[in-house]
Amino acid sequence: MSEPNAPLRPPLVTGDKTLSDVTQDICEPLECRPNALWWVAFLTSLSFLLLGVVAVWYQVATGIGTWGLNKTVGWGFDITNFVFWVGIGHAGTLISAVLFLFRQKWRTAVNRSAEAMTLIAVMCAGIFPLIHMGRPWLAFWMMPYPNTRGPLWVNFKSPLLWDVFAISTYLMISAVFWYVGLVPDLATVRDRTEPGWRKRIYSILCLGWDGSARTWHRYETVYLLLAGLATPLVFSVHTIVSMDFATSVIPGWHTTIFPPYFVAGAIFSGLAMVLTLMLVARKVMTLENYITKVHVDKMCKLILAMGCIVGLAYSTEFFTALYSGNAYEQFVFMNRALGPFNWAYWTMVSCNVIAPQFFWFRSVRSCLPVVFVLTLFINVGMWFERFVIIVTSLHRDFLPSSWASYVPSWIELATFAGSFGLFFTLFLIFCRVLPVIAIAEIKGAAHLKKVPSKQASVQEKVV
Amino acid sequence: MNDTSLSTKEQRKPLVYLVAASALVLLCGAAFAPDHLEINLGENSTWVLWDQLRLRIWSNLFVVAFFLLTIALGGTLFIALTYISGAGWHVAFRRIPESLAKALPVAGIFMLLVLGLRFQEYGWHHDWHGGPGTFWFKELWLTPWFWMIRSVAYVVVWSLLGKMLVSRSLKQDESGDTKLSDSNVGLSALFLAVYAVTFSLACVDWIMALDPLWFSTIWGVYNFSGMIQATLAVIIILGLLLRVQGRPLHGVFTDEHLHDLGRLMIGFSCFWMYIWFSQYMLIWYTNIPEETSYFIIRTHGSWGPVVVVSIILNWVIPFFVLLPQPAKRSSGIMMKVAIVVLIGRWVDLYVMIFPSTLISKPVFGIWEIASICCLVGAGTLLILRCFDAKNPVPAKDPYLKESLHYHAN
Repeated sequence: MSEPNAPLRPPLVTGDKTLSDVTQDICEPLECRPNALWWVAFLTSLSFLLLGVVAVWYQVATGIGTWGLNKTVGWGFDITNFVFWVGIGHAGTLISAVLFLFRQKWRTAVNRSAEAMTLIAVMCAGIFPLIHMGRPWLAFWMMPYPNTRGPLWVNFKSPLLWDVFAISTYLMISAVFWYVGLVPDLATVRDRTEPGWRKRIYSILCLGWDGSARTWHRYETVYLLLAGLATPLVFSVHTIVSMDFATSVIPGWHTTIFPPYFVAGAIFSGLAMVLTLMLVARKVMTLENYITKVHVDKMCKLILAMGCIVGLAYSTEFFTALYSGNAYEQFVFMNRALGPFNWAYWTMVSCNVIAPQFFWFRSVRSCLPVVFVLTLFINVGMWFERFVIIVTSLHRDFLPSSWASYVPSWIELATFAGSFGLFFTLFLIFCRVLPVIAIAEIKGAAHLKKVPSKQASVQEKVV
Repeated sequence: MNDTSLSTKEQRKPLVYLVAASALVLLCGAAFAPDHLEINLGENSTWVLWDQLRLRIWSNLFVVAFFLLTIALGGTLFIALTYISGAGWHVAFRRIPESLAKALPVAGIFMLLVLGLRFQEYGWHHDWHGGPGTFWFKELWLTPWFWMIRSVAYVVVWSLLGKMLVSRSLKQDESGDTKLSDSNVGLSALFLAVYAVTFSLACVDWIMALDPLWFSTIWGVYNFSGMIQATLAVIIILGLLLRVQGRPLHGVFTDEHLHDLGRLMIGFSCFWMYIWFSQYMLIWYTNIPEETSYFIIRTHGSWGPVVVVSIILNWVIPFFVLLPQPAKRSSGIMMKVAIVVLIGRWVDLYVMIFPSTLISKPVFGIWEIASICCLVGAGTLLILRCFDAKNPVPAKDPYLKESLHYHAN
């Protein structure tokens, strides 16, 4: 790309950094001992994780009757949490692959951590259907292979099985994409590390990277191809999650807009979570010169756009329910807005549609504490969106005699808290052992100060 | 470059004749031809030349008018999306989508005339009561005067916002004021918000309501996907035509721009297919009677092959042909694919509208050919008129330099 329009395109890295400053700043956290703040955060997350482990152990040992589900509300916290975490896991690939193809260079500051977040979130999501099986040690039955159980095949017509394929593919491709992106940076870390076991581990992980022109050339080709392959996955995963609902005949679940609407919602929630984490990380890890207000501003704008799309989808659903003349559709939507779970519905609307509207104002986008609070609201709102879709569509079904309510049990709450524990524990470990910003990429994207080397100054004189 | 107009009167003459001749055919058909014409071949066999001619001509005009309107609206959408995303690559050829946006009022009036012409084709137009009390909203929403006011309002709002976007860009040619770009960013945000709501509703009001009992929530997204795909095709064709030696965008519209437009077109082809499949698959899978009606007519019987053709033209060909990188930089391939996509767009609209206006089986004859000729001729004349050949490049746009030196690597 040509020289950017200096007055119109703000710099992506501030603070007058040189190339070596960038390496130094990003690798620093890896090379010193963690501070007290990190330990406090880590131990808190770890204790939540332990709580989750205990809860999971108890419900697997006792049976999923420990949940608050009943005959009418057969899906509750489990699937809500599953969809919530899968949604969070969308921003990573969006930022890495889609924004890469659109050549949005600002992505370089956040793509690494967003991808890590994606992987961790997908792992958190995977826990819930596994527990829901009741006998998680038989989870391999989900794989289609010739067997001695009949043979008994999986149901290829079921979207739940498509989910197994879609999410495992997504996890694998995202992991490969993330790892390939890491390779040059791992080599940088290797070169900076004193000889010892750490150096040996980084040497193995960076696959003998030598930084030659040929290596770079192949690397860039692979990265572009992986970006192209990962892009359809951004759509496919949540499309198929939406089909878990939309292929049913339940009013409130079956509607044709679900695939794009779920994808937009997933991107929305993922971006909000990335921004929440990045706002903390830039402060704690002193990365303010790399994750600048410009980055925050762009993320806010994307979140606003996604929030508006999600709002449009909510109103389209409501409008079409009224327009269709279908009594059941109308009942479900009226029941959402005015029925016993109306508090959940209005929490969803205010957090997902109204809260992001503040991002229309530049003053709000540049006031980071306010941005932080708003992203928290969106995280909450997107959890409630899934809760509203799942529970309100089920709890008053076609027969009024079977209407029921749903209250999560302590076990479900503890499991949910445990998934947050897992998420933050792994994320905090990531921050300590791998460079949180793609060093090689940000150097290519930002126009950094050039320190005239001896050789360069000699050349200049010759010219 | 020195001409004030892009084409001479001589060059425009064949197009004028084409439009006049095809309009005359349609007009004569509507005014004088019998509604049903068959030739007796003896031995109890007859050859039906046409049936329901008035309805058929109106359906043709509907397809053509909506086609033209969505291209014009798509140009405005393209401008708004590029402003809002802070894009710089497209500035060199921005006058092309701007000329499409300038065509919005004319295209809109044409659409409204067609809608008004045979308003009674909408089943709910006279004395329609949907049934039980749950239909109160539909009865209210499809009240004829309310429907008409809305239709006019959509066109007025789109035209006004499009005009404002273009006029600030033109103003910048004189003053070079970068504040005009900034204010266009805000205006684009407003346009996008208004567009998202009004276009979804317009598609429901104009097309979905042809079949008053059928509904699908993805309808607006589906129409959006077809619209943006066709608009990209038109921008590509115009860009290629205008970059020929001696034309205004020679040396300005480069292979780099073509490459990126090609990428966008392949992307939106996939998006169209994704949305089409989502709608079809969910309706097919659940098999709920009030929803399947739309696809039963279109996939069973003689409409079935037309749907397949639509998928081939709108997704299979653009996807596989444009997949290799060199294809997106080749003028010849890009021109052909763009034309294929435009034909695909017509087929998509044809299969959306014709079965809903109760044309029982696919028809293609003189009336379709005449209406397509009308569309191509009148559309080209309209865009030629709207393209400002005096200032073919936004010369003082702050991102112009970036756009001219752009590399789509």
